[in-house]
Amino acid sequence: MIEVSHLTKRYGPNTALVDVNFSVEGSGVVGFLGPNGAGKSTTMNIITGYLSATSGTVNVEGHDILDDADEAKRNIGYLPELPPLYMDMTVEEYLGFLFDLKKVQKSKKEHIGQICRRTGIDQVYTRLIGNLSKGYRQRVGLAQALLGDPPVLILDEPTVGLDPKQIIEIRNLIKTLGKTHTVILSSHILQEIEVTCGRIIIINNGKVVADGTQEELAETVEPQRLLVEIEAPKAEVQESLKNLPHVEDSELMGEAEPGVWKFSLKECGDTRREVFQMCKNEDWTLLSMSGRHNTLEDIFLRLTNGTVDNRIGDRSGKSGNSKNVRSTVANAVGYTVPETDEDLAREQDGKADNDASVKEDS
Amino acid sequence: MGAVAKKELKQYFHSPVAYVCIGVLMALFGFFYTQVLISGSSSNISYVYSNMFVWCMLVIPILTMRTLSEERRNKTDQALLTAPVSTMGIAGGKFVGAFSIYGLAMTMSLIPAVVLSFVGKPNWGMIFGEYLGALFFGMAMTAIGIFVSSLTENPVIAAIGSLGIAIFLMVIDSVSSAVNNPVLSKVVSWISFSTRYQQFTSGTFDISSVVFFLSVTVAMLFLTSRRLESRRWN
Repeated sequence: MIEVSHLTKRYGPNTALVDVNFSVEGSGVVGFLGPNGAGKSTTMNIITGYLSATSGTVNVEGHDILDDADEAKRNIGYLPELPPLYMDMTVEEYLGFLFDLKKVQKSKKEHIGQICRRTGIDQVYTRLIGNLSKGYRQRVGLAQALLGDPPVLILDEPTVGLDPKQIIEIRNLIKTLGKTHTVILSSHILQEIEVTCGRIIIINNGKVVADGTQEELAETVEPQRLLVEIEAPKAEVQESLKNLPHVEDSELMGEAEPGVWKFSLKECGDTRREVFQMCKNEDWTLLSMSGRHNTLEDIFLRLTNGTVDNRIGDRSGKSGNSKNVRSTVANAVGYTVPETDEDLAREQDGKADNDASVKEDS
Repeated sequence: MGAVAKKELKQYFHSPVAYVCIGVLMALFGFFYTQVLISGSSSNISYVYSNMFVWCMLVIPILTMRTLSEERRNKTDQALLTAPVSTMGIAGGKFVGAFSIYGLAMTMSLIPAVVLSFVGKPNWGMIFGEYLGALFFGMAMTAIGIFVSSLTENPVIAAIGSLGIAIFLMVIDSVSSAVNNPVLSKVVSWISFSTRYQQFTSGTFDISSVVFFLSVTVAMLFLTSRRLESRRWN
């Protein structure tokens, strides 16, 4: 169990965390999400006792991280952003040292052997850490966190630098660990959080901006919308759609093909049957109907950028710019990407021209 | 503390540091033994140790320079500080590791004296006094070096910093004679390592010097542990 209450951290004049509160009870994997510099690592460092908060308390398994530091630390396994490895030691020496350092009360050889098999480093056991690839180093770091089988695991970007096969292995390992341990996992890979974490905490500018399961977060961000394409006279369809009992609002998104109109419906319930019945009664052709769920990416971008725009972007006009995922996603969610982020995307993709056209389209 | 000390010792012997430092000290001991026993035709071994005082003070900063600075730079201190070990335990472990290397070199310096005992009768009481004295000022200097190392992330700066302090502590005697104020002069000579060490080389086992060196050691290790603690807050 971890209880974080009213955590504030200042570095001189800079405030890294402002009144961060959350608690994690029982087993499970909690995803810790946030843009760079949001305070993820700072929070993790405070929970593990590497840093101290300016104010606020951290309680791990009933032990305060400051007053009862040794007991609290005994209950935490920590994999920092950069694994704390001694390059001039072999894996064997390193894990042996940390085993002693953490005062683990277990059979040394057996316990380390077990962890090495679990993390898949038994083949490099006798090699110098300095000679290992980044993926192996990361796994040695993970092995170090598992020493002593602590009930709480804090993993700061555990799959960085791994190849796809290893990523899947480590994710499965984390999922397995999540059944018996409390795991807090931070990652930039949203897909990873999506598949491994039951609960997600999003932090931005040092504040917790969302906390809940993905479904709960999706609800708070924006209700689901239904996208329909209907071949019919524009004004009439628009009027009829608005009159459907479960449609709160309908919005014309544009002409998908000549004579075919695309609408985005804001629902308060299930409207699919109503739309179909309407088309049937009026003898219009319903060409497509699709629900748009909020993906974690949508939620994340929405919550961490803050700018909300009610307009729904026209997706049909952007098929040529599919590479610019950020803008596409941003427009799909219905808000504009801030200038700076767009500049960033432009730099990354080298698609300055395309980007400009995206802007015009939306 | 035990785990940290064990790891430190291992790391010293993984890198050339331990071999180079012990080797250099041994070579210098060999040189001064030759100077005294053969060239000088003297049996005054305390001359060897009083010459070695300077070199020992200069080698210790090399031993201690990377103890904490490198941990900080490589972020390996995250493993140390998030483990159930007190900061005093970390400082103590580092101290035991570094001091063991120095102690080993000092103990090995007794080999020529042992060889000498086969052909002559060295004054063992005096040699033992020298040896103990060297260990005591070594302790204090090691603790100072570790403290300086905890102040920076750069081992080279740590080395230069503690070398500066070592040199200051060696030349402080000439400072004390240059100072007119009698109180200040007294204070300056009171903290002088060489004056205190000379007590041992002249064959007296001075309790106040022992207490002095031990106090400096403990105080410096305490400051180191406070320093590690304070890093959390900024």
